[in-house]
Amino acid sequence: MSKLVLKFENSVLKEVAVGAREVSIGRSPENGIVIDNPAVSNYHARVFSEEGRMMLEDFGSLNGTFVNGQRVKMVTLKPGDSVGIGKHTIVVTESQEVRGTAPGGSTGNAWPTVPKINETVMLDTKERREFMQKVAAVGESSQVSPGRMKVATLVVRRGRTDRGEYNLNDKLTVIGKSSLATVKLKGWFAPKVAAQINRREDNSYYIGSADKVPNVNGKPIDRPTILTSGDLIEVAGIELEFLYRD
Amino acid sequence: MDIEFGARTDVGRVRENNEDSFALAADLNLFVLSDGMGGLASGEQASRMTTETVVARCRETADPTVALIGEKLPGVSNVSNRLASAIRWANREVYQAARQSATRQGMGATVVALWFTDEGRMSVAHVGDSRAYRLRGGELTQLTEDHSFVAEQVRRGMMTKREAGESTMGNVLLRALGIEPEVQVEVNEELLMEGDTLLLCSDGLFRELTDAQIVSVLEEAEDPQEAADTLVELANQAGGGDNVTTLVMKYAPKAVGALGRIGRWFKGSEHGS
Repeated sequence: MSKLVLKFENSVLKEVAVGAREVSIGRSPENGIVIDNPAVSNYHARVFSEEGRMMLEDFGSLNGTFVNGQRVKMVTLKPGDSVGIGKHTIVVTESQEVRGTAPGGSTGNAWPTVPKINETVMLDTKERREFMQKVAAVGESSQVSPGRMKVATLVVRRGRTDRGEYNLNDKLTVIGKSSLATVKLKGWFAPKVAAQINRREDNSYYIGSADKVPNVNGKPIDRPTILTSGDLIEVAGIELEFLYRD
Repeated sequence: MDIEFGARTDVGRVRENNEDSFALAADLNLFVLSDGMGGLASGEQASRMTTETVVARCRETADPTVALIGEKLPGVSNVSNRLASAIRWANREVYQAARQSATRQGMGATVVALWFTDEGRMSVAHVGDSRAYRLRGGELTQLTEDHSFVAEQVRRGMMTKREAGESTMGNVLLRALGIEPEVQVEVNEELLMEGDTLLLCSDGLFRELTDAQIVSVLEEAEDPQEAADTLVELANQAGGGDNVTTLVMKYAPKAVGALGRIGRWFKGSEHGS
């Protein structure tokens, strides 16, 4: 009788005998072989017997099922075959070969060598939506999120600029004398591009250095630094307050 | 524009085929890199289709009567919108190709692109986990955030960077081209300053090398081509677990007139202010 041995790297996670009953493989706990990895579909594939042969069928999974490195839809399995699903491997073996290798055992070289599969894979659509909803909830409860309806504003507290206040609608806001600058500095010695503020995809704002290293709340920044309401920015002789307004 | 550049792609030490592609359009100052997925030939096809489509569509939309596709992004330049539109085109192309045959199921690609404009600005667009970095004044800044399962958790404070590096799910993407009919393209704009060095790379590079190694190569190489080559060689020496591709660009304006020199002298005299 044959067995399916689920492995991750060199450790054996599970062994399942293949008989008349079909063995389903997937992330859902109802499967005969459960692989808890987001790269694996809920119902990913199955192994069943047909006319005395052991068959493997992929259920149209997003990231695929590979036998000896080849992506497959439906194939006949034989002892020694190595089935790749995500980063896991299922080795097909005659049951006597399994003896002596307890789950978790480190006799890695008892197994056929399989190519190191480290493919980039995609979280399937449903999983991705659920995950994004989950993390969005986390983000909104933290202080980082500016909230959707608020407008980020720079208020000039000190120094010579062309205006007293700036709404940060652009992805890139430049502070300096350059023609690119939104916050226009005045004076002979004002730098062309003193600093920059980037609006990221999640509508958070980061300040970064250019010709000058800005201070945020009195401390020079050493990397692009997120701005929160009330932060004081000093650069090139001016002082700006960053605010979210309703 | 005075952009010096170099590029290199390599299959690595483990894989049998190279699913990475890059394209340069030096006349447009446009640089594109893509990492394909899907196995067999489809990963290679997806990345090549991506880089070629992005360059072709960016070229076409120089004509303002050629319509852009997708929602116009607020607060960015026309160049950024053209780049986003070109990437959406590439998504459609890969998506359609993936549906034409069963062997191409799961075909997809990442993309990262830099487009420099004359006025000292650049657009950075990406989907997936290929990255853009900038070296300025010895400091390496990652300009793109991976659209991956672990990066999203780091961003939300659900995981530390260290945990992310050790995660077995580092290869799981949240966004890629070719998976769905429409894709959300992330576009950012950055200043381009004299002396800036930019790096585009596939995950085969940053999974093998540390930031410090990348910095030392970018700083010590004679020119961008040497930097691109050396980074790939180091990644291979470190294991070469994946395909690795590097594009290195250096903004080094030449010929400074007398007025420019005076300007620099003034700037130099300002140290410590």
